[in-house]
Amino acid sequence: MSSPDRRDFLKGAAGAAAAAFALEPVLQARERLTQPVRIGLVGCGRQGRAILGELTKFEEVTVAAICDVDPRRLRGAGRRAPDAASYPDHAALLGEAEVDAVIVATPTHLHRGPAVDALAAGKHVYCEAPLAHDLADAKALAKAARRAEGQVFQTGMQGRSNPVYKLARSFVRAGAIRDVFAMRAQFHRKTSWRTPASDPSREKALNWRLDPEISLGLIGEIGAQQFDVLHWFTGRYPTAARASGGVLAWPDGREVEDTVHAELTFPKGARCTWEATLGNTFGGRYELLLGTMGAVKLAWTHGWMFKEADAPTQGWEVYANRQQFHNDEGITLIADATKLAAQGKLSEGVGLPEPSLYYALESFLKSVADGAEVVTSAEDGLRAAAVAIRANQALRDGGEVAIEEDDFRVE
Amino acid sequence: MVLRLATRAMGTRFELVLAGDEGPRLRAAGEEALREVEEAERRLSLFRRDSQVARLNRGAGLGAVRLDPDTFELLELAAEVHRASAGAFDPTVAPLLRALGLHGGDSSAPHCDEERARQALGWDAVELDPARRSARFTRPGIALDLGGIAKGHALDLAAAVLLECGVSRALLHGGTSTVVALGAPEGSPCWRVSIGSGPDPHVAELCDAALSVSAPSGRVARRGDRSLTHVIDPHTAAPAAGVALAAVIAPRAAVADAWSTALLAAGSPRAARRAGLETLHSTTAGAQPLWIHHAPGAARFSRVPTPKTPTPTLP
Repeated sequence: MSSPDRRDFLKGAAGAAAAAFALEPVLQARERLTQPVRIGLVGCGRQGRAILGELTKFEEVTVAAICDVDPRRLRGAGRRAPDAASYPDHAALLGEAEVDAVIVATPTHLHRGPAVDALAAGKHVYCEAPLAHDLADAKALAKAARRAEGQVFQTGMQGRSNPVYKLARSFVRAGAIRDVFAMRAQFHRKTSWRTPASDPSREKALNWRLDPEISLGLIGEIGAQQFDVLHWFTGRYPTAARASGGVLAWPDGREVEDTVHAELTFPKGARCTWEATLGNTFGGRYELLLGTMGAVKLAWTHGWMFKEADAPTQGWEVYANRQQFHNDEGITLIADATKLAAQGKLSEGVGLPEPSLYYALESFLKSVADGAEVVTSAEDGLRAAAVAIRANQALRDGGEVAIEEDDFRVE
Repeated sequence: MVLRLATRAMGTRFELVLAGDEGPRLRAAGEEALREVEEAERRLSLFRRDSQVARLNRGAGLGAVRLDPDTFELLELAAEVHRASAGAFDPTVAPLLRALGLHGGDSSAPHCDEERARQALGWDAVELDPARRSARFTRPGIALDLGGIAKGHALDLAAAVLLECGVSRALLHGGTSTVVALGAPEGSPCWRVSIGSGPDPHVAELCDAALSVSAPSGRVARRGDRSLTHVIDPHTAAPAAGVALAAVIAPRAAVADAWSTALLAAGSPRAARRAGLETLHSTTAGAQPLWIHHAPGAARFSRVPTPKTPTPTLP
């Protein structure tokens, strides 16, 4: 059967199946948690509010307490969690509120205090990524998490719980594109990266990302998440970093670079180039892995595989959903593709049904309530932070900076 | 200084014109306001699988779906305008718009034939539970399209962010059809927005008010020799015909947006008046009526000719 015939045949079969299952909901059944979880949120900035938004989707979750040093932000978050008690600092929250787990969404350089204290108070902890802005804090966190036996600690790196990424990784690990020898990632956005303050005295604190003393800049706040995807896909960590950058798009007196290039050298000679800018949106955000038999492109909510002409053909590719990128044709990576194809709903499976933050929180909650394996441990967090810290050092000092095994060691 | 910022969302372009001093701070406030627009798009888009509306359309027929406070409040407002407009504003037109080919791309509305989509139509099958902030559909095949109110909602949230950041003079618009005016430009009593083109257009004079203009000339699909507009009259379950343009000024953009949609679909000026909107004009453009309404306050419509700008030519 030639491929157009086969396609028509499959379309017909799928059409019949679609009629039979027209009312069957696809991807509806969400696994429920086996027990309720009470959450305390530390840090009610934009990320904290996004977390509250996702938590409302879990029937078994109650946000029992929220905390922020900024009263205005605390009020804003209170609207999203009307039943939560409000606290001005995390010590008061840990002392008074009855919570099972604490989510830390403070600025990066302020992760350590609340996360370590929450572990000491016997709470499970979800800590936003990057884990910390320096190695001392990252190692202290990993050490505290290791000591807290029986408590869950998840680093909020979202790639490892993203269903599209999990599917793509299963292809890459099964050798679909053969050996990965080069990687490319980028983050392009147009934003000044400044946070407005209604109260001028709060302006410096709110703009911690632009303070070179405490911020890892784009490499830490964005790169660490993207590098971790490459670590997870290849099972390797880089051994050296180079970086350059400058204030090119927003010359408003800032010191933290708005445009950065970094190059990571992986064992066996594989390379990753990463480029980030706050001056232009072209191409957005993605990670690209090149193997000798194909490429995989990951763009957070979507993923594609591009096969070389000499790559072996798989049976299912004939009816795969495809997308054209100028001269390249990408096979859309769709979770539950076989089931959806049988119902004639393949195109409805393109893209994630929930934001990626949802899946990161879901995996944490499953670990807390059901004892599921932790997807991104404190040590994964430490390693990703260490790579970012060394790459940022290369940006500061110029030249190549080695990433040593010692950087990853939990003392 | 005047700063212009823009983002693409909801299939159109949202733009802010900010007046104030201190560049980086003003920009930061504008960017924060645009992020509200982008977040509203993420919550309300029919075309993103991970939006709240897509979740609702997938799941609310099977059981109550919990929503974030902003989306839930928007549904409450939609319910209010639905009641006040005697059903002329009805977001349950989503399946019908899709069946008529008026949703470009794969929307989260279920795919079905026109007849089934007509049977599903009706806000009476949308049940809101304020205590749990959840929504449920009590009839199969229901799906919501908040396109008639979402732009206004996004602009209201953006304007609130600007005010919070101390920006009190700004003009915000979504796709040039929904507008919010904060204060007025320096040395002027109001922002002046012209409606439509031609030598003698209407002008809305706005100061701390919102304007929304709906016209059938937006998205159009062809069926044989029929051309279908993207606004459905919920009473006849057919694309609206008869109204050339509806413009509404209201204190909030979401209200103006929903009412201009309602008036274009099947609007009754009487219902609008009952809801506190005043009829200023009810005139005729060609063979079709033109309804313009406004709310009491600092805003009004006038018919002052605006200076003619030359048509740009390609180099």
